[in-house]
Amino acid sequence: MSGGFIEPELRARLRDLRIAPRRAAGGDGLGQHSSRSRGAGLEFAQYRAYEPGDEPRRIDWKLYARSDRFFVREAERDSPLDLWLLLDATASMQQADQARPALRKFDRACTFAACLIEIALRQGDRFALATLGRQSPLLLPPGRGARQRDRIVLELSRCTAAGDWPGAVAENLIGARIAAHALVIVISDFFDPAALDLMRRLAGAGREVRALQLLAADERDFPFSGGHRFIDPEGGLQRRVDAGAVRKDYLARFAAARAELATDCAALGIVFATHVLDEAPERALRSLLVDAGASR
Amino acid sequence: MMPLLLAPLGLLALLALAIPLLLHLVRRLQLTDTPFAALRWVSERHQPQRRLRLERPWLLLLRVLLFAALALLLAQPVLESRQGDAGADWVVVAPGADLGAARAHVGDGAQWHWLAPGFPALTDTPTSLVTPTSSLLRELDARAPASARLRIVVPARLGGLDGERLRLRHAFDWIVVPGQSPAVAPANPVSHDLVVRHDRAHDGAVDYLRAAVAAWNVRAPGCCTLDVQPLTQPLPADARWLIWLAPELPTAIRAWVERGGVALVTQGVQDDVAAQVLWRDADGAALARERSVGSGRLILVPTVFDPAHLPLLLDGDFPERLYSTLRGPQPAPTHAAATAVEAVADSTPAPTGARAFGQSLRALDPWLALLISALLLAERWLATRRRGAGDP
Repeated sequence: MSGGFIEPELRARLRDLRIAPRRAAGGDGLGQHSSRSRGAGLEFAQYRAYEPGDEPRRIDWKLYARSDRFFVREAERDSPLDLWLLLDATASMQQADQARPALRKFDRACTFAACLIEIALRQGDRFALATLGRQSPLLLPPGRGARQRDRIVLELSRCTAAGDWPGAVAENLIGARIAAHALVIVISDFFDPAALDLMRRLAGAGREVRALQLLAADERDFPFSGGHRFIDPEGGLQRRVDAGAVRKDYLARFAAARAELATDCAALGIVFATHVLDEAPERALRSLLVDAGASR
Repeated sequence: MMPLLLAPLGLLALLALAIPLLLHLVRRLQLTDTPFAALRWVSERHQPQRRLRLERPWLLLLRVLLFAALALLLAQPVLESRQGDAGADWVVVAPGADLGAARAHVGDGAQWHWLAPGFPALTDTPTSLVTPTSSLLRELDARAPASARLRIVVPARLGGLDGERLRLRHAFDWIVVPGQSPAVAPANPVSHDLVVRHDRAHDGAVDYLRAAVAAWNVRAPGCCTLDVQPLTQPLPADARWLIWLAPELPTAIRAWVERGGVALVTQGVQDDVAAQVLWRDADGAALARERSVGSGRLILVPTVFDPAHLPLLLDGDFPERLYSTLRGPQPAPTHAAATAVEAVADSTPAPTGARAFGQSLRALDPWLALLISALLLAERWLATRRRGAGDP
């Protein structure tokens, strides 16, 4: 199922990539990440008093025999990670290059999401996905395993990018679902300031946030000349300009906006990576993931 | 062969060329619609340039040609083809000139023409030998090519002149050879017989008339006879001049006057304004009037015909005055010595638009109409040909 989003050579390169949160992960189950939660496991951590609700089989019966009190044996274990993927599905993600009109930014965003899900699946992590778009909001709560992956990929393949940024209600709905120690990866073009605001709130609430900015090559290079009527896909705003004349100005302002976004992300402690459609996806993926691993 | 425009103002219709040009001129703002997500960083300061462009240039060319051809048609183009050599000398010979002397004077090699209506070649016989020389020379001057030199051969005694001095714009030679212009044979001199019919009251007046006729005969002996009879006597058959001295003018006499007679009558009609005053006295009062009646003339003497009322009778020039009155106006002389009436050069510029002599004009209208039809067909074909949008 996920083959539709990931090309074979890209899939081959995913092998040595791993998602590693900066902090210890929480959650249940066995996973690859160091966990702060105590529970059943291999490495003994401590005893604690029995509390109603604990499984009877986890009571250390030998200790009960000695002390006539119920103690529960806890072990430190590697807990799986909650990976949340937030995909920008606004109309601006429909932007494609003139050279390759079939490849839109949203398609590339789906590729990135599929790659990250593959990695998370391999690591045994739980993963969830939500799209940020008023037209087709998608909220798939965390799950584990190939079935969850197939479900997400199926939903993604049905999803199209349209409409504008969702309101605060949708944002809060998603934000409330994200567990406290989840890793949130936002894939967007970050043209809408609301995306940065969302990341700021999530980071402020203690989630680890990483940002992957997707840009079309046309947005980076502005290869237009002559009279153009530029139409904003979000809101339909039109601007009639002589493209050759505004190019220099546009490039300067756009570069400044990118630099400002990178600065803001750095200030928030958000790992920030940029991908342009004409680049290989692996590079951005590596800088998004390995960078975090190196700083660990 | 030289193209000419008979109505050059028709070229003003070329202003209509602006119509197809305006139709094809599209001030088109060529914009490419481009969806662009990063619109907020695109500055709006640089508006796209409007570019002037001509749509479908071939169709425009056809339409411009069509309008130009129509304008040309309005200007009436003709093709001027000259006959003969424009710069050659033109020798015109007035009838009556001695041809031998003329040839000796001019020499051969030039085009010889009669100075006659239509300017026939010398080999042809002119239809009329009596020609209005002055008028023909003016016509020739107006029609001859500007560079031609006119050599005008005239007889020593030149006829067909008028009162206006000849002025020619062309360079010319005035060659006088012996000869005399033929003239209309003068009518047989009419006998100046004066017929007088008078009543008893005018017995005395007859003496003055006798004296006048006697004076005429002194100047030209035997030219006049006087026939004095009472009123009742009939007029002689050949009578032309009549003096009717009676208060009444019978209708028979009036009818005779209308047939061509000249009568002096004493019956005055003072307020006959249609009559022309002939004689005035010293104070300017009208003494005699003249009125045309039919083909004759009636000379009205309003007063009684005696010296008391008409002191003129006693004047020494009365016979001559009576004679000229009865004779009526004489035609102006048309003959003169050729050397005396030699034409003078006129330096005023020639009027434009005159058809030059010896040229024939061929109208180009049919060919132009054909061209216009062809252009129209081509234009319609090109305009209605199936093609993409953008047909203006």
